[in-house]
Amino acid sequence: MAMALAVAPTRMELLKLRQRVGLAQKGYDLLKEKMDALVIEFFEVLKRIQEARPKALEQLSVAHRALSMCFAIVGTLETKQASKETKRELQVDVSTRHIMGIAVPAVEVGEVERNALIRGYGLHMTSSVLDEASKKFERALKLLIELAELEESAFAIAREFEKTKRRVNALEYILIPRLKEAIKFIMMRLDEMERENFSRLKRIKAMLEERE
Amino acid sequence: MSYKIAVVGDQDTITGFALAGATYTHIHTAREETLAKLNEFFASGEIGLVLITHRVAEEFGFDFRQMLRTKGLLPLVLRIPDKTGYMPKVDELRKIIRRTVGAEIMVKKEGL
Repeated sequence: MAMALAVAPTRMELLKLRQRVGLAQKGYDLLKEKMDALVIEFFEVLKRIQEARPKALEQLSVAHRALSMCFAIVGTLETKQASKETKRELQVDVSTRHIMGIAVPAVEVGEVERNALIRGYGLHMTSSVLDEASKKFERALKLLIELAELEESAFAIAREFEKTKRRVNALEYILIPRLKEAIKFIMMRLDEMERENFSRLKRIKAMLEERE
Repeated sequence: MSYKIAVVGDQDTITGFALAGATYTHIHTAREETLAKLNEFFASGEIGLVLITHRVAEEFGFDFRQMLRTKGLLPLVLRIPDKTGYMPKVDELRKIIRRTVGAEIMVKKEGL
């Protein structure tokens, strides 16, 4: 559905329009290339997610099992108490990385696993089951942090991809057809004027000849 | 820049991640409370990662998605299963793939 733009049928307009089509075409090609690159990036990240996700989820369920054991053996209240006494100052370094001009997070985690001594809960009231559960959760957390980075990247790329796709479509299906339609309109109009002129001249010539 | 970690979910999840060293935790009970807490987590500049259980995320549905959409790059948000291993049937990522790529063939082939 290409609605012609409202343009004056002059040669100047025609030249301007041709220039605009050229520019739009160039932009379209560039965006299309960007889209292709984004798809490649996207699948790259997806592949990594597919590797990371089962691992992280598996570790998490292992950790939950260990925690349940801990609840059973050490006691729910004691475990909760220990969790409150634990030093809770794990830090992650998040910076941004740029893929094709999109900011995606890059997470850096140091050593998440800690020694039972520096976790912070009292040792005389707790058992090794608690240490075990903590360790497993620390491991799970590390994997989950990595997974979060990947998933967030995938979302960012997907968002950008959608935006680019919308632009590509706008150019391909709206702007460029409209410009082309306008060019066609002007060319037809100019041709028509030429023909009018031609027949007018012929008629004048005939009239002049008649008069002589 | 260093950031801290926040966890929102049920008691067990919270306990586990607290043992692992997550700084902020919130046990989900009342909807309003959790929503306020989430807003606080999202607004504070010092939190780099919010873990939220699928069950809670699903309960907030639209509100939560709205928050995801309006947040900046940080904090990262990851939905995790709780101790029952609960995961929604429709995977957020899979939905996005379908929307962007327009096909799911690739996904099934690689078995995500």
